[in-house]
Amino acid sequence: MIPVTACLLLSAMLFCLGMLGFLLRKNALIVFMSVELMLNAANLAFIGFARVHGDITGHVSVFFVIAVAAAEAAVGLAIIIALYRNRKTLDVDEVRFMKH
Amino acid sequence: MSAFPSLAFSSMLLPAMPASTVSPPSFVQTLLPAAILAVTAMLLMLTEAFSVSKSRSYQAILAAGASAVAGFLAFQNTQLPAGFILNDRGVADGFSSWITLIACLAAGMSSLLALGFFRQRNAERGEFYALLLFAAAGMSLLAVSNELITLFVNLELMSVATYALAAFWRRGNRSVESAFKYFILGAFASAILIYGVALLYGATGTTQLNLLHTALPNALKTTPWLSWPGLILVLTGLSFKIAAVPLHMWTPDVYEGAPTPVTALMGAGIKAAAFVALVRVVLHVGDSSAVLLHILSFLAAITMVVGNLMAIAQRNVKRMLAYSSIAHAGYILIGVAALFTTSHWGNDVGVLSVTKVATPTIETLRPAALQGILFYLLSYAITVVGAFGVLAAIEKREDDGAADAWDLNRLSGLATRRPGWALAMALFMFSMGGIPSTIGFLGKLYLFKVGISAGLIGLSVLGVLASAAGMYYYLRVIVYMYMKPSPETEIGLRHWSTEFVLAVSAVAVILLGLLPGPLLDWLSQAALFIPN
Repeated sequence: MIPVTACLLLSAMLFCLGMLGFLLRKNALIVFMSVELMLNAANLAFIGFARVHGDITGHVSVFFVIAVAAAEAAVGLAIIIALYRNRKTLDVDEVRFMKH
Repeated sequence: MSAFPSLAFSSMLLPAMPASTVSPPSFVQTLLPAAILAVTAMLLMLTEAFSVSKSRSYQAILAAGASAVAGFLAFQNTQLPAGFILNDRGVADGFSSWITLIACLAAGMSSLLALGFFRQRNAERGEFYALLLFAAAGMSLLAVSNELITLFVNLELMSVATYALAAFWRRGNRSVESAFKYFILGAFASAILIYGVALLYGATGTTQLNLLHTALPNALKTTPWLSWPGLILVLTGLSFKIAAVPLHMWTPDVYEGAPTPVTALMGAGIKAAAFVALVRVVLHVGDSSAVLLHILSFLAAITMVVGNLMAIAQRNVKRMLAYSSIAHAGYILIGVAALFTTSHWGNDVGVLSVTKVATPTIETLRPAALQGILFYLLSYAITVVGAFGVLAAIEKREDDGAADAWDLNRLSGLATRRPGWALAMALFMFSMGGIPSTIGFLGKLYLFKVGISAGLIGLSVLGVLASAAGMYYYLRVIVYMYMKPSPETEIGLRHWSTEFVLAVSAVAVILLGLLPGPLLDWLSQAALFIPN
């Protein structure tokens, strides 16, 4: 049986990877994927902790997070498509029409 | 605060009204406003699918009417005692009812603004009002949440609807860019928040706020490597949503690029709902460590100072109002920090130190601070809806690509061409700046008073100084409207719904500023759920 610690370590690594990807990558789609990675890291943490505590809250939370991530992806990808149609690019550094 | 005798009833305070005869609201009563908003939103989507007529004006009226009904029901709930609903997953109290009322106010006013705005641009669509009402339902449910997963889901309901609203001009450069920035940073903040919730769940075994309140102090000692990161991540996610300073960078771009009625909704409703989430969470976790008090005071200080300084440099009025909304978040954070000073007297952090003052106890200070926050949120919502209403009114159809779309020059000589609009805008600017006899002045007065009686003297003085500096850019708008010659360009068309919103907010700003008595009575009668 896989120990819970491994599950939690993997989740922490995924979260850090997602955060790094969000901060360092330039392609809007990859940036969005990094956010999804962070959400799934949270799911993994919920599952691991649910096993530690032996209760069902963690399992239920995962379903809510998955549903929210799906809703976010639906709206988010539509916005990314609208962005691509306007600019013909997905580079997040190019998205600076408004100046300070 | 004689209105708050400590009638302890399962760790909450009840007001002095006949609490023994009136029972706490049932979950039907509490959730009815949100249900009305959500059902009307679905109805609006159906009208968009099945409607054969070309005229769509009734959609905005329907949305505004539903908001008015929901707001009225929420107002009735404000006078009921506090209690848990839905198996302790939700909490019905004065705070949640007032925030529901503010959300309904923001949604109703923005849909009326949108009626004129989109009609003149031939862009009336039912889904706009549906999304607006879904966002308002999310705000209302967010205020009821007593559980971190519920809070997360409702925060997302509100945010996802607003991402789509910000992108409503999907062919416009600014609108799409604003929606993209809002979405990508908002999703990042939500991911941080939910990971923090997962860590807190791991440390304490619960996601319910009232259980977290009892479990957290112990968890901070036994598993600090789990509970501290969890706490910090949750607070980071929420600070993003209220636009506190290190995490405020999205605000100016999003506020500028979104269609102006949507910006009004963001300023009035989303800000209030994000604050209620922050207040609910920190009320339950803030006692466990003095570090949180320091973080909140520090956030308040830099948010006020940076928000005001950045606003001074702006010539673009819409961006200026965005930075000013950051500054206002800073003032409200003084009230949030004031919730905890009684637990941590005499903690020195330089100018932000907490001075021990004789008067307050936790039973008197917390209701006063919560009322101060509520009054401020209400006054800011009324004012900011009006201010963005004026900007929506003077905006021209072809403005999307223009670099000077909301430049101060657009306001030049407004007093001679549209005296009513100019007078209303002057009132809103006075209210935001905090000139006496407006509602904004009273909001600042109560908030700073609470700050001082809580011992946050340095922070309150800083707040007064920052708002004095803020007067510069508010008065500059009035100078342009009344003292500059009018250019010979065309100006936005009139529409009854826009003018109705402007009139209602202007009258409310001055009337509640001169006669705040009834409002203060209602606020002090609201039963506030306060963990002890």
